[in-house]
Amino acid sequence: MMKNKIKNIINNMPLNKVRFWIQLVMFILFAYGGYVFIDFGSSIPIFACPYNRETGATCYFMPLQHQLAMPANVLFGAAAISVFIGLLTFIAWFVVLNKAWCGYACPFGTLQDWITALRKKLGIRYSTYSQPQFDKLSKIKYIFLAIVIMIPLLMGIGVLGGEWSGAFCQICPARIISPMFVGDFSQWKIDFSSVAAMILTTIGVLFAAVFFVGSFIKKRFFCFFCPMSALHYTMSDLSLLKLRKDGDKCTKCGDCYKVCDMQIKDIADDVTSTNILRDDCMFCMKCVAACPEDDALHVDILNMRVFSSTKEGFAKRMGMSHLEKNNDQ
Amino acid sequence: MTNNIKPALETPRQKQNRHKAMEAVKVLNAIKKEFKEPPKAMNYFYDLFEKVYCKQEALHTNKVKIGTMCIQIPSEIIYALDAVPLRLCNGFYTDDEIGSDLMPSKSCPLVKATVGHLASENFSDKPDIIFSPTTCDQKTKAGAIVQNFGYEVIDVDFPRTKESEESREYWRRSVRKFSSDMSKNLNKKLTKKNLKASIQKIGYAQTLYHKLNDFRKNRLVPILGKDMFLITNAFFFDKIDNWIAAVEELIEEVEQRAANQIHAGGKISPRIVYTGSPPIFPNYKIPLIVEQSDAIIVADETCSSNRMFNDRVSVDEWFLNDMIDSIADKYLKGCTCPIFTKNDDRIRRIVDLVRSYGADGVVYQAFAGCQVYEMEQRSVLAAMEKEGIAILYVESDYSPSQQGQLTTRVEAFVESLKNRRRMKK
Repeated sequence: MMKNKIKNIINNMPLNKVRFWIQLVMFILFAYGGYVFIDFGSSIPIFACPYNRETGATCYFMPLQHQLAMPANVLFGAAAISVFIGLLTFIAWFVVLNKAWCGYACPFGTLQDWITALRKKLGIRYSTYSQPQFDKLSKIKYIFLAIVIMIPLLMGIGVLGGEWSGAFCQICPARIISPMFVGDFSQWKIDFSSVAAMILTTIGVLFAAVFFVGSFIKKRFFCFFCPMSALHYTMSDLSLLKLRKDGDKCTKCGDCYKVCDMQIKDIADDVTSTNILRDDCMFCMKCVAACPEDDALHVDILNMRVFSSTKEGFAKRMGMSHLEKNNDQ
Repeated sequence: MTNNIKPALETPRQKQNRHKAMEAVKVLNAIKKEFKEPPKAMNYFYDLFEKVYCKQEALHTNKVKIGTMCIQIPSEIIYALDAVPLRLCNGFYTDDEIGSDLMPSKSCPLVKATVGHLASENFSDKPDIIFSPTTCDQKTKAGAIVQNFGYEVIDVDFPRTKESEESREYWRRSVRKFSSDMSKNLNKKLTKKNLKASIQKIGYAQTLYHKLNDFRKNRLVPILGKDMFLITNAFFFDKIDNWIAAVEELIEEVEQRAANQIHAGGKISPRIVYTGSPPIFPNYKIPLIVEQSDAIIVADETCSSNRMFNDRVSVDEWFLNDMIDSIADKYLKGCTCPIFTKNDDRIRRIVDLVRSYGADGVVYQAFAGCQVYEMEQRSVLAAMEKEGIAILYVESDYSPSQQGQLTTRVEAFVESLKNRRRMKK
């Protein structure tokens, strides 16, 4: 009885509101944690950028790039254990939340959602990619992931020089934007100390500028290109948190696809996969909340259902559970 | 002497009305009296059908009436513009006969009846404009025939594949065009506010339908399929607010019945999922035979009922164009009409209905002349066999003559399902 009650409350929850508050708390934690000496370490699977001096954690890409840039004999010798521990810690964090790190915890993701909220307030409609555009653009994140991994390795074997250090960070818009959370605008500059630095920081500044325009027009504009999201995807099978679909119950009505910020088509059209998590997914669970069929989409921790689509929950969230006087949202 | 003889020559119009009233009364009486006592709240619907089809009373005198030739014309947009959708799909044999002169002999009775009705121009609520989506061949062509009678008919392009991104985009454009056509015709603006209100109102009506349906999953079923068909059929033409109020009342009563363990069927009545060509009042021939043979229709997969209510629109950001796109997707992507090239979705849907409503078998009706349902019969039968689900395929039309043969087949099927149930016990 009690269990069913709790289940009902969860399945009927106004997901968008709940998510907003979780994101706010997480944002404060990761963007301002430094003020109260919070430090979740340096293997966090989100863009908690250490260029922001008050960050509450460090994005895993920072240490990863430094480690991979070590000379091969060090990397596979003395440093191997610390590299390994770093990776294990990363996986340990990741396994708990899967890609929900993106949808709920990443300050950079949250920032985009707030830019989206601003656009909504201004009454401007969002844009989408066409399917062919989507298919092409969706691959870019793997190129970035290759940059994260390959450039340091090339440094390690001496092909590239020290000026390539932390190459991805140099082009990452989070490096430029995250310090702004604490009023630091000093990253908005081009570094002329070397040709490599100049190229990388120029790309970075451009990318940061495009970030604001892009995420104003397109929901979660950056996440689509995020190498962290790509790295997540390679490990998502290990995670305890699962996004699952029961294709038999799906009528392909497309409601989930309609609300998906990442335009993932499989969520509606694939009726054979049980594991419906795709590489672009940020596990925001909006699809589950927007599914009008009982149990067609659900979020599981291992095999325990924690959040399920229900007819009732859908009606509540869409304002269809009672006749309401119209109020704009 | 001669004074007593009234010049009571019946006009064709009166004759048509009399014949239709006779058809309607016969079916209404069967629905009301030949079964265990229906819920009292059903009286609203019985009276409604009597008013409209026996007495030809008009329901919508002060609103613009939008005739729709098929399920895909979005009512959300029509209601948002303060007009009324009237679904013209017709179930009268009288009209079918009129239409027979205007359509090829082997056409679908539903389309013939619709065309016949429009040809007669005899309406209690006459549509001001007709929107005709290009769904099946017969309906597509019927639009042009109807136009020749002098109606304003606007075609709405509908794709015949639904998997591709191209068809999604194509249909979205069609619906956008439909919205602007409507807007122009009615000289009224579609706004964020009126469309949202209309989506939510229809969504609420759908929610009510789902609530009512949930009771049919119970072991003891408090309401029969024949009544459910009448309720959903009323949505074709009723005033939506009245419909909502009536169903709210009905739900309360059915809830009470469920609590009191009232069963509308017999002790071992088999549970049936009904699929195929849509039963539209008064052509409830097959549903009535099924339930008169001591089976209960617990769910259906037809466009006059479940398909009309099942999928609700979801919107992420309530902007006008976003809402229109959402509406478009619902009418295309969720649709299990056999006009589409492939239709695995329909099979999955039937199987899911059988499982979730605990059904013992499926009855598949196809109208003789409804080619797409006839063509899909084999694949559905094969799929059901694979799933181990009993299915009966029957072909029927609107004529009152084949009753005996159909009854025999349905009864035999129901009897075999009963035997299975007995054996399970």
